Amino acid sequence: MDRRHRPANGNGRVMEYFKGIWRARYFWSHLARSDLRSRWRRSFFGILWSIIQPLGMTLLLALVFSKMFKTDIHAYAPYILSGIIVWECIIACVTGGSLSFVQADAYIKQYRHPLAIYTLRTVLTSLIVLLLASVALFGWAAIVLPQHIGWHWLAALSVFPMLWLILWPLSTLLAYVGVRFRDVPHATGLVMQALWFISPVYFEVKMFRQGGLDALVDYNPIYHLLQLFRAPLLDGQWPTLENYSFTLASAVVMALLAWMVGREAERKVIFYL
Amino acid sequence: MKQPIIRLQSVNLHYASVAYKERSLKTLLSRAFHSGAPRVTVQDVHALKNITLEIKGGERVGLLGHNGAGKSTFLKTVAGLYPVSSGHVQVEGEIRSLFDLSMGFEPDATGRENILYRGLLLGLSPTFMRSKEAEIIDFAGLGEFIDYPIKTYSAGMQVRLAFAISTAVGGDILLLDEVIGAGDANFMTKARQRIASLIERAEILVLASHDFNALKSLCVRGVVFHHGEIVFDGSINEALIEYKKVNEMKDVL
Repeated sequence: MDRRHRPANGNGRVMEYFKGIWRARYFWSHLARSDLRSRWRRSFFGILWSIIQPLGMTLLLALVFSKMFKTDIHAYAPYILSGIIVWECIIACVTGGSLSFVQADAYIKQYRHPLAIYTLRTVLTSLIVLLLASVALFGWAAIVLPQHIGWHWLAALSVFPMLWLILWPLSTLLAYVGVRFRDVPHATGLVMQALWFISPVYFEVKMFRQGGLDALVDYNPIYHLLQLFRAPLLDGQWPTLENYSFTLASAVVMALLAWMVGREAERKVIFYL
Repeated sequence: MKQPIIRLQSVNLHYASVAYKERSLKTLLSRAFHSGAPRVTVQDVHALKNITLEIKGGERVGLLGHNGAGKSTFLKTVAGLYPVSSGHVQVEGEIRSLFDLSMGFEPDATGRENILYRGLLLGLSPTFMRSKEAEIIDFAGLGEFIDYPIKTYSAGMQVRLAFAISTAVGGDILLLDEVIGAGDANFMTKARQRIASLIERAEILVLASHDFNALKSLCVRGVVFHHGEIVFDGSINEALIEYKKVNEMKDVL
């Protein structure tokens, strides 16, 4: 709580901010855990729901889509599954993230923690749910595509830190805006729907390419992000350097935007709660 | 260790009026298309006006003022919750503040779990909170209810638990906002003793209250706020007289 030693330069302030986040680690890790507990409380399957739900959805979609698009269901089902679980994680962080500060108002009004811990809580919770759901994906891929098992499977794990690097600043950015304009969750719902349509989340990449929409694949960070999962598990390849550069570049852009908005907005949030 | 200190230099604080007006894009747009002047103009609230104040280690300060005079805003500014519009705030030392006591409980978790959670909110470690747990439970005196979810508690029980947790740890600087006055008579006596011992251990006490007896017995220095300004700063007895004078002279008219 000692605010005298706040250095004038930006670097020092950013360092202080992250130190504050580290000091509050017991608090945000507790918040994330209690979110997960309340999610699974009083349900028979409990934690298993995080695996059952995307699996059920995948079965349904795979049956319909493989008939509609005449693709091989064995390879297409895990493709859909990887799309569903990553997309659900992104949606949870975007819509949940924009309400993170509003939801935490009782805490924000009582103690001066860096506000990014409240979006960190949202992002961590969603990533843990994704981690659980991906157990089904790894299992499915191992059974259906055993020929692809190899060291490159390890690369699939990199999707978690990459998602974290993108989603934490993104949800923090949305939370700053969302605390002032409560329309944000509705608006992001619409935007995400649009993004879903123009990205290879459920639809196969070749469908975009056949339609001459290569740009929607090649310059789409969502495609590159999904490739971190799909290249190793479904195609038996390492993700390309391009995949990583696009995801990292998105993370950098998000971080810069969040920092620019946060510089002004961080301390004023309490007035809007 | 350095001496704790609170130093404010020509501090101004405004509550942005947009916080009450533009809650949505709709209001923003409707204003853009509406040419006429809005019927009611909401001004920025100038909550603290040019406050310069220094509180050194060892001081016991009472804040007086009518509702909305700026006492709570002052305390929250010192606690670092509110950003100042201009001026300089310097605070050195570990702050322990008691305001909005019953906020931030998790209704589905038990009282025992909430002891840990609130401790973490206050920036304490799980190990430390576990070492304090028995003492807190004993002080709150909730009996078997400590293992029931918070949502089954009465308002009074919640305040008792919150008070027991928040006062289990001291700090160099103690900021109190009208906390005395929670629970039944029996608990009140315990609470007074607890606050007295906290105050003894704290280097600086800043207490905002309307309870003249509490102010007189706990504080030495008195600061009177009136419409966001400090109108008096001196001994607590003179401050009480000044407070009565200011409010009777200006407010009754």
